[in-house]
Amino acid sequence: MRAPFRIIFEQRSETPRYLAAFVPLMSVLAALVAGGIFLMASGYSASETYSNMLSDGFLSSRGITDTLGLSTVLICTGLCAAFAFQMNLYNIGGEGQVYLGMLGGAWAGLALGPRLPSVIAVPTVLLIGAAAGALWIFIPAFVRARLGTSEIVSTLLLTYIAASVLNHFVYTPNSYFRAPNVTFPMGRAVSESAQLTPLGGTRMYPTFFIVVALALFLYWVVKRTEFGYRIQVISDSPRAAHYAGVNARRTTMQVMLISGALAGFGGATLIVGEFGKLDQGILLLGYGYAGIVIAALARNNFAAIIVSGILFSGLRVGGDKLQITTETPIHIGVMLQGAILLFALGGEAFRRYRIRAVRIQAVAQ
Amino acid sequence: MNSNIWVLTSADSIAIATTLILAALGALFTERSGVLNLGIEGILLTSAISSFLAADSSGSIWLGLVVGSLVGSLLAGIHAVLSVTLRANQIVSGLALVIFGTGLANFLGKPAEGKTVTTIIEPLTFGPLSDIPVIGPVLFEHDIITYFAFALSIGSAWYLFRTRPGLELRATGDDPATVDAQGLSVAGIRIRYTLFGGLLVGLGGSWLMLAQSAAWHQAATTNGIGWIALALVVFAGWHPVRLIFGALLFGFSLQLPFTLQAEQITFIPSAFTQMLPYLATLIALIAFSRPGSKNLRGAPKALGNPFVRDER
Repeated sequence: MRAPFRIIFEQRSETPRYLAAFVPLMSVLAALVAGGIFLMASGYSASETYSNMLSDGFLSSRGITDTLGLSTVLICTGLCAAFAFQMNLYNIGGEGQVYLGMLGGAWAGLALGPRLPSVIAVPTVLLIGAAAGALWIFIPAFVRARLGTSEIVSTLLLTYIAASVLNHFVYTPNSYFRAPNVTFPMGRAVSESAQLTPLGGTRMYPTFFIVVALALFLYWVVKRTEFGYRIQVISDSPRAAHYAGVNARRTTMQVMLISGALAGFGGATLIVGEFGKLDQGILLLGYGYAGIVIAALARNNFAAIIVSGILFSGLRVGGDKLQITTETPIHIGVMLQGAILLFALGGEAFRRYRIRAVRIQAVAQ
Repeated sequence: MNSNIWVLTSADSIAIATTLILAALGALFTERSGVLNLGIEGILLTSAISSFLAADSSGSIWLGLVVGSLVGSLLAGIHAVLSVTLRANQIVSGLALVIFGTGLANFLGKPAEGKTVTTIIEPLTFGPLSDIPVIGPVLFEHDIITYFAFALSIGSAWYLFRTRPGLELRATGDDPATVDAQGLSVAGIRIRYTLFGGLLVGLGGSWLMLAQSAAWHQAATTNGIGWIALALVVFAGWHPVRLIFGALLFGFSLQLPFTLQAEQITFIPSAFTQMLPYLATLIALIAFSRPGSKNLRGAPKALGNPFVRDER
């Protein structure tokens, strides 16, 4: 027997403006509802969990500054993902590029930091971190541009390699990066001149404002410059770009290297900020992966990434505190991230298509 | 040097290849229909912990395998609905599945931490064959799932290239418009093979859990095997039999760090041996790329593109 109605997708010629904001909002809500059902099925209170997350992540003064502090690196990884995604290049190795940014930043902080005044040391750490991130994506970018090798798999594989590299430098006895005279393996703190002081007793650093400015700058670059236009043309129609004489290979390289640099920059903000040293703890935090969700939710719009980055950061901060306050497993936060992304993707269909159910007249009668 | 340990390494490489083959076959069937499912790692992980919980609470390892496989299919179903029915971006959908699956698996795995699987899947014995030195332990002391995985690879090649449904499957991945013109449902075929692919990946994850690691180590349980499986499909040029060779090679590189550790070969930094499988995969991936075209050798031509009849 066939269903009495058919679902029809009609492509919208124009997306109503209200849907552009409505769909991401609804997907977050839908994910929270689905997560709530799951929480209740596992014997936790959904309302309590969510109200705790909300107050710990956004509403308390401690919560909101923690959220803005964490959002610094998350906005970077979101920008990293979006910058490549906008040209249909899927750099999903932002995670590994964050590790390398941290490694490069730590090197700069240890080797150059002691000899430099703070005004120079901090930018040096950030820039070398960005350079290290770009270096880590160089091979995927090069083989993607030259041989067409899938950047999806190559950048991801390099994340596992980056994790081994980072572990090597933290665990190897007498490693340059390892704190001496401590039996427990941990990173050596970078020089004081390479570290920023958090803002007024919070866990938020001035780098937050740099990153927000960076996001707005990229927004301008993509919308208003010739380089941004080139990216747009290539992603809309590679063939048209080819005939217009746009060098797609070079642009591919440029876009991927910038994408890697953005993640590396994010890793380095952790050196001048929260961590102050190479720390193997980063391997468990998944900031790079979160960037993919942030970028997708913001639909690769760089200004919107600031908002989705802060939103996500709040979810993380609230989720992390749950473990302590209510013994709800911490992983609910990661699960919600994935669920939000899945719902956002489903919601896309409603933005692009008018979906209707049409009754089929029973032929047999 | 102890020759025994190398026999053991070879045997273990074949064992590890089991998960790789099953996961890669799952990806291969899905991709042959034109759907790219990058969520393999998330599916492996979730099916692994599901199989553990099912086996642990029921005491039956076989029930564990069944539950794990079905969970794999269920997660793949999310991807099928999003990418086939709702025509979402398949790459982002797959990644979302990895993130969701990792969170879900860790959430579900909370009560499993510190427990181990009590019953094991018994290896088959082939009488005198198993007693042959070197060859016996390497080839004839595996469990039934391992032999099943290898046989399935060969059977899949026959199915893909020698049967009518196999032809339809390949056509759906290469030229969905023609399949549609033949009166077949492109969406139906794609959803079916995405679900079947998830089933195989789920079986691979469950087997990895119940027969190999025996304890829940969170994300380290799968440790990137899903991604290696995806690269393996490229490496094998979307051919099920060539997959076997790749799986053995990567199985060996995954096993090697443990052997070197057991042999106390320390002049190679352990960080390097740990990255070896990923490095080997990366090099193979690059070596098998063809310049000048985005279409890799043997890749389904419509891979990753949603099929929409009226928008052609």
